[in-house]
Formats: sequence, structure tokens, C-alpha cells
Amino acid sequence: MLHNIRVVYLKEMKEVLRDKKSLIFMVLLPTLIVPLMMHFMITFVTRAEKKARTETLTYAILGAEFLPELTSQFTREKGFQRVDIAAPNDIESAIAENKIKFALVIPEAVRQQNTNSRQVAVQLYYNNAAIAGKVRDRAANAIEKVSKKWRTQRLAELGLDSPQQQKHLLNPIIIEEHGTADTREVIGARTGGILPYLFIIFCFLGAMYPAIDIGAGEKERGTLETLLLAPVPRRHLVLGKFLVIFTTGITAALLNLSSLGLMLLLKGREVTGLLGEIVESISILDMLLVVIILIPTAVIFASLLLSVSIYARSFKEASAYCGPLNFFIILPAVIALLPWVQLNWFWALVPISNISLAIKELVKGTIDYRMLAIILASSFAVAAALLTFCTKWFQREEVLFRK
Amino acid sequence: MLQVKGLTKFFRSPRRKTRRQQDRPTHRGKVIYAVRDVSFRAERGAILGLLGPNGAGKTTLLRVLSTGLKPSAGTADFDGVDIVENPLEVRRKIGFLSDNTGLYGRLTAREMVEYFGRLHGINRAQLKHRIDELFELLDMTDFADRKNDTLSSGMKRKVSIVRTLVHDPDVIMLDEPTTGLDVAAAEAILQFIKSRKTDGKTVLFCTHHMHEVERLCDRVVVLHQGSLRFQGSLEQMRRDTGQTHLDKAFLTLIASEGSE
Repeated sequence: MLHNIRVVYLKEMKEVLRDKKSLIFMVLLPTLIVPLMMHFMITFVTRAEKKARTETLTYAILGAEFLPELTSQFTREKGFQRVDIAAPNDIESAIAENKIKFALVIPEAVRQQNTNSRQVAVQLYYNNAAIAGKVRDRAANAIEKVSKKWRTQRLAELGLDSPQQQKHLLNPIIIEEHGTADTREVIGARTGGILPYLFIIFCFLGAMYPAIDIGAGEKERGTLETLLLAPVPRRHLVLGKFLVIFTTGITAALLNLSSLGLMLLLKGREVTGLLGEIVESISILDMLLVVIILIPTAVIFASLLLSVSIYARSFKEASAYCGPLNFFIILPAVIALLPWVQLNWFWALVPISNISLAIKELVKGTIDYRMLAIILASSFAVAAALLTFCTKWFQREEVLFRK
Repeated sequence: MLQVKGLTKFFRSPRRKTRRQQDRPTHRGKVIYAVRDVSFRAERGAILGLLGPNGAGKTTLLRVLSTGLKPSAGTADFDGVDIVENPLEVRRKIGFLSDNTGLYGRLTAREMVEYFGRLHGINRAQLKHRIDELFELLDMTDFADRKNDTLSSGMKRKVSIVRTLVHDPDVIMLDEPTTGLDVAAAEAILQFIKSRKTDGKTVLFCTHHMHEVERLCDRVVVLHQGSLRFQGSLEQMRRDTGQTHLDKAFLTLIASEGSE
């Protein structure tokens, strides 16, 4: 038995490794493309954020004479450049044409209101669709400085001179937060869902092309019939083929895992804050557990894909079936990305979703090991059932010689 | 020796029968008879021609004999080894080249043949010797290490033949082995088939070319619409039909009772 499986496996692997398309999905895409995309994304985000914090913001003030103190504050602030515009009606077009980043409109009534120590309202116009921008924050920060100065003055006029007294008056109750989750858990909960999604998708994509090639492809090329007539039980043939698909799927997932890990390790040192902490939060043991949990995932995908592929009459037909199958894989994998879905006994028994959620919990460092054992057991059971089905399927005349 | 006994193979029809199908004797209810109650023998050291128009059931018959498909009724045996009871042993005794056989394009000719040799359980040393011998015999050494995708049709057919014979089978079944080949390539293959006969092998040779039948076959079996129409020598075929040319004799057989 082992001899036959080994012969089939080695021959199929040789063909897979000589096939550029398979290598692209198995090696190139998970190893280089995604980490490179992430590298460029991180670089871009870091640069964009730095630019948003330091770029010179052009602005206009209408009614500057009604609140000279605020005007002076913006003049003193670094990173602001005033531009004159004629009328309030020009504000929106000036922002749209990028002549100014924001505009302040100070109504005449403000002068009187300020004199009477009343609350004044200035209008801030900016492009609130520019999500990455820091325009609002930076403008509001400058305004807050004037506001704070007035607040101090007004409280002093009321007889509250000491900063301590003012502080107590303004904030009679303060909240001292004590989050029970550690940083790793917080970060894992926010970002951990994307990792299983990537691993699962690459595991599937890495297995997909070789599966089509060694099932439907073999049928289309007219080599399957010849192979079936070798003096080898069909279950040996299917196991040899299955192992190749399993190898390519798990290789793609592991290459993605290693490549992302390496990239984050190197890149993580360059960036501070959230990303740096994500990198530090993933340990070698977590990685090992992720690898173990990916094994039944690869078995499930390999069995499913081989069954579909061997049923199809041609490469084209198999590709058409794999499209919807891809959707049914992505959907449960996406579950882990949803913030309100938590790993519980129900989700622990839902194939793919349980793997996705378990990897997320591993990243968070909050995995319940009893639940992990159940997930592994149920995943291996599903994988074994699908492999048995695939083996039986491979022995049916109407599947192998389908017209 | 090959002995076929009342072999029948039918398929379940997935669709409703058309009026034309209802009139055909191969269609019975919702099953389509590809081969019906066929019996014949093929002797050792003889070439048996398997003749019939397209759709006669030749390929299905060969698929059943080669254990690719299971018979619906009847059976066959190769030197007493039954195709239903012991399909793996039958596969060791036969070499089958189907009409639409393909090659692994990313493997070389040698790798392809080695693969099937290994699946037949031949050890490496024996396999190398056997492959060298067959490649020499069919004048294939020049392209033995070229990838199959780069080979001409004639070269590919030679690779397929070597693949069929790598385990030195007792019975060789060839389904239209010269189709699509030029004269030189076809001639090389016909010569090779003839040489198998002298080696004491049983050859089942399926073709549409009557000149090949005339040249190679000792006996013929004629199938039409899944049923056996004739079996015997070429001389007997001419005599029974009253025709001197084999083509005419064949057409007479398939035009008789029960044909469309």
C-alpha cells in the first residue's frame, strides 16, 4: 500500500513542482505577494499618518476681527497657513479644490457673547469624508487652547484661582479605568481575525490548482483511465493524490504564516504602537498550535477539492465548481472577523469557523484548551469523513467515466 | 488466452428517450445497452481484430475487459483469471491502449513509463532494463528524456505503446493505435504489433482501417449496436457475406438484421 501511495505521491508532486501556475498559488502568492502588499500598506499608512500630523494646513478665517485672540492662536501655531477667501459661499468650493483644508467662520455676535462671558460658537468647515486626515483634530486642538485660557480666566473671575480648585469643579467625578484584558488580548480581539482568514484562504488557494490539475486535468488529458488500469487499488491512487493536495495546501498556509511572521517581526521593529505590540503578542507556541490546527483544515480542503475535481469532466468545469466552493470556505472563515462572534461550544462545532475562531483566540492568548481539543477532534472527524467520501467517490464508475 | 462469456454492459439513461432511441434495439426502457451478450475467444499468439462502426460498443467492451468498468452481466477471463473476481490480477496480465489515451505533459517519456512500471511493482533495475529495451525497439532513445508536451503525435503514440507494454503483459489490447499518425509512424507501430504475435502474446486490435485488419489479424469479431455480428477468420467473413473485399464484407455484416 505504502509503495503505491508513495509512487503516486512522488510523481504528482514532481508534476506540481514543474507547473508554474501551481507554484504561483502555492509558493509565490503566500510567500511574497501578500507580505509585500502588507509591507506597502504598513509603509503607506505610517507615512500617511505622519503626513497628516505634520503637513501644513491651509485655512481661512471669516470674521477674524470678531475674535482676534483665536486668529492670533492660529498664527502662532506651527503647521498652519492662512489663505484669504472672499465670502462664506466660497468655503465649500475652496475645500473641494484643495485651496484650503478648513475654514473657521466667526459670527459677529461672538464679540458680545465673549464680553458677557457667555459660550460662543465658531463654525468649523472641513472635509469630513477624508478619514485619514487630522484636520479636525488639529484645528480643534488650537481652538481648545484658547478655550482653556478663557475657562481659566472666567473661573478666576468667579474666585476660583487655584488650578486644583478649577480641576475639581470641572471634573467632580473622574473614572479610573482598570481593563481586565491585557494588551495582547485587546489587540488580538481587534486584529486577530484577519490572520486565520489569510491562512485559511491560502490553504484553500494553494490546494485548489493542483487539485484541479490532478483530478479533472487528468481526466481531460486522457491519462486517468490509463492510471485506473494500473494494478493498484483505487484507494491507493486517491490517497496518493490526496496527499499531494494536502501538501500544497498546508505548504501555502505555512509559507504564508512564516512569511507574515518574518515580515511583521522585521517591520514591527520599525513601527511603534499597535502594530509593534501585535508582533510581540504572538509566541512560538501559538505558532505551533496554529500549525496543528491548520492540519485538519488542509485535509478538509484537499478532500473537498479532490472530490469536486474528480467529478468534473474538464479543467474548466472543475474551475467553475471551485468558484462557489471558495465562497463557502470564505464565509465561515470570515466569522472570526466579526467582533460580536465569540468562540463558544456552538461555534466550536462549526467547521472552518471553529478553526478561524480558535486561531483568533490563540493570537489573543485566551484559548480555552478544552475547547481547542474539541475543535481539533471535530475537525479531524470532519476531515476523516470527507476523505472517506472522497475515496468512495473515486471508485464510482459514473464519476470517473462521466459523460 | 482471453475468453469472453455473455458479456453485457448497460448504462442508466439520465434523460428521457427520444423517439429515435426508442426504435433502437440498444435502448431498453431507461437503460442503454452498450454491449449485449457478447462471447468470443482470443488465442495466445494470435491477433484478433475487433471491428465495428462508431458507437458499436468496442471501446466499452475494451474498458470492461480491462476492468475499467464492471460488467452488468456475464464475465471474461484471461488465462482463467476472472475480470470481476480478480481485477487487480487481470490488470497485471493486460496492457490496454485506449483511443483517447493521453500523456503527462510535464513528465519526460522515460519518467512517464517509469511511473507505470513502478505502479506495476517492477523493481528499479528491471524497469531500467525493460525501458531501455523497449525504447531501443521502437527507436525512441532520441526523445526519451524530452518532456511529453514537446513530442509529435507519432512520438506520443510510441510512448503510450511502451507504457502499455512496460510490464510485459500477456494480452495486449489496442484501440485504434494508428489513428492520426503519418504513414511512417503507423508503419512502425504495425510492425511492432506484428512482432508481439511472434512473442506469443494475445493481441486484441481495434481499428477502422481494413487494410490493417487484412495485414495483421488472424481472426475478427464484428460488433454492431452492442451485439456480436460475426466472429471467425477473414476468409470465413468473406465467404459468409459473399464479398471479396473486406470493407464490403464488413458493411454487409453491419447492414443486416437489426441495423438502422
